[in-house]
Amino acid sequence: MPYILQTSNLTKTIGRKDLVKNVNLHIKKGEIYGFLGPNGAGKTTVMKMITNLWKPTNGNIEIFGETLTHKSYEVLKRMGNIIEFPTFYNHMTGYENLRLHCEYMGYYNHGSIENALDILHLTEASQKPVKNYSLGMKERLAIARAILCKPELLILDEPTNGLDPAGMKQIRDLLKTLCEEYGITIMVSSHILSEIESIADTIGVINHGMMMKEIGMKEMEEMSLTYTELTVVNAKKAAYVLSEKLGLSNFKIIENNMIRIYDQHVSMQELSKVLALNDVEVMALGKQSETLEDYFLKITAEVKR
Amino acid sequence: MLKLIKLEWKKNNIGKYIRNVVILAAILCLFMFALAYLGIANDPDTGVPDAAPGNGTISSPIELFTCMSFLVFTSVMLSSFIVSAYKDKTMALMFSYPVKRQKILISQMLSVWIFCFIALVLTKLLLYGCILLGSQFMVSSFPIDYNMASLGFYVQLIVKSISIVTMSFIALFIGLAMQSSKATIISSFLLVILTQASIGNFTMANNAVFPVILTIISLIFAFLSVVGVEKKDLI
Repeated sequence: MPYILQTSNLTKTIGRKDLVKNVNLHIKKGEIYGFLGPNGAGKTTVMKMITNLWKPTNGNIEIFGETLTHKSYEVLKRMGNIIEFPTFYNHMTGYENLRLHCEYMGYYNHGSIENALDILHLTEASQKPVKNYSLGMKERLAIARAILCKPELLILDEPTNGLDPAGMKQIRDLLKTLCEEYGITIMVSSHILSEIESIADTIGVINHGMMMKEIGMKEMEEMSLTYTELTVVNAKKAAYVLSEKLGLSNFKIIENNMIRIYDQHVSMQELSKVLALNDVEVMALGKQSETLEDYFLKITAEVKR
Repeated sequence: MLKLIKLEWKKNNIGKYIRNVVILAAILCLFMFALAYLGIANDPDTGVPDAAPGNGTISSPIELFTCMSFLVFTSVMLSSFIVSAYKDKTMALMFSYPVKRQKILISQMLSVWIFCFIALVLTKLLLYGCILLGSQFMVSSFPIDYNMASLGFYVQLIVKSISIVTMSFIALFIGLAMQSSKATIISSFLLVILTQASIGNFTMANNAVFPVILTIISLIFAFLSVVGVEKKDLI
């Protein structure tokens, strides 16, 4: 699978502080890449380097198969981005701002501005100066601008900041559509997991400037993150039964009487039957799945230690 | 490049500046007219103009006031076109376009330069014209020492205007280095003092070599503002 964007050992040092260190990102063509990290983890720094606003101290970035240098201007034509807070020429109307964007991008396609405004439900407001827009409207206008010139790669830095839950859902749906129907590759950062979880194909987790984990959503689901939780009176006895009678090895005693079984091949029925036959008193039995949130917290907690 | 310059004008609401420059020119015109024909500079006791030595003719206050006001005006414009663009992050937007950063900066500088140069030339022509027109009907308190029919007059006018407008690039450089609009404008005031003020009989204003040197220095500063921008981080 060719990568549309990858970085190798990307490092940015300002003063003596490493803002990001040895970041290796791999984004496949046509996927939505969720870039996850708590505030101050280095998400924006990485995105600024990808959009060529900042220059890496070390390492390199490869976009569309070309290594990014300070002379790379052509790749910018094929990218749309929102970095940090969206900025506009506030005295101009929303429509004029988009027009200006087209002029600078060298993109002339009749009706594309109207189309972008329409997708983001901004047609009515398009003739008002941007200074009268609410934060949510500005955010939507920024997204309209980012998708205006039909980019192949979208870099979005927390695009749903300042939007209400309905607005967030709308953006999520829009990103999904853009990815599926137009084949646009999207890199979207967030510090809110639930926001990305439902749309991303791959998740990259960054914390303290270091890449913690890069994992496909499918792979993650398979990675025995669903487990069976079992509460019994005597955990030791239960553990003995699980390993001896059922041949299970991938389980863990969490507390005195709680066991998590990660092996997927034993059904609940069989489990309860065997436990009952061996005189293990079961208080509760149920299937649980570790949410991305738990996973995320686990990964980010590892660094602090 | 021309297109980039036009876009700069559009983005920065050039209409507002046209209005301002017209107001400025009108005020200067009124003031100079009053100076020449309404006797506001005359000493009430003697009735003759109370001018500093060497500034006895009408062209010197015209030059002084247009230079002063346009040096500051150009710096204000440069600061709102460029220095503020860095501060309000619209520069980040500009630098995400597939246009060379140097080209963007140069187009911004040129858009201000061209506008101010034309405005300054027109303002000076207006002032000289008005005074000349007035002299047909009234007697000026200050002797009229220029000849609008000679080519030399226009050459001098254009060269002086170029030098003044270019000088504000020094202010721009300082403003960019300090990332402050205020610094840009304050530097322009200092430049005014440096170029126009006099200490006793000593002044740099009438020295022919000095403006040339200052213009060359300005061009170096303009170059320094642009060079290296490709590799710099945008903060």
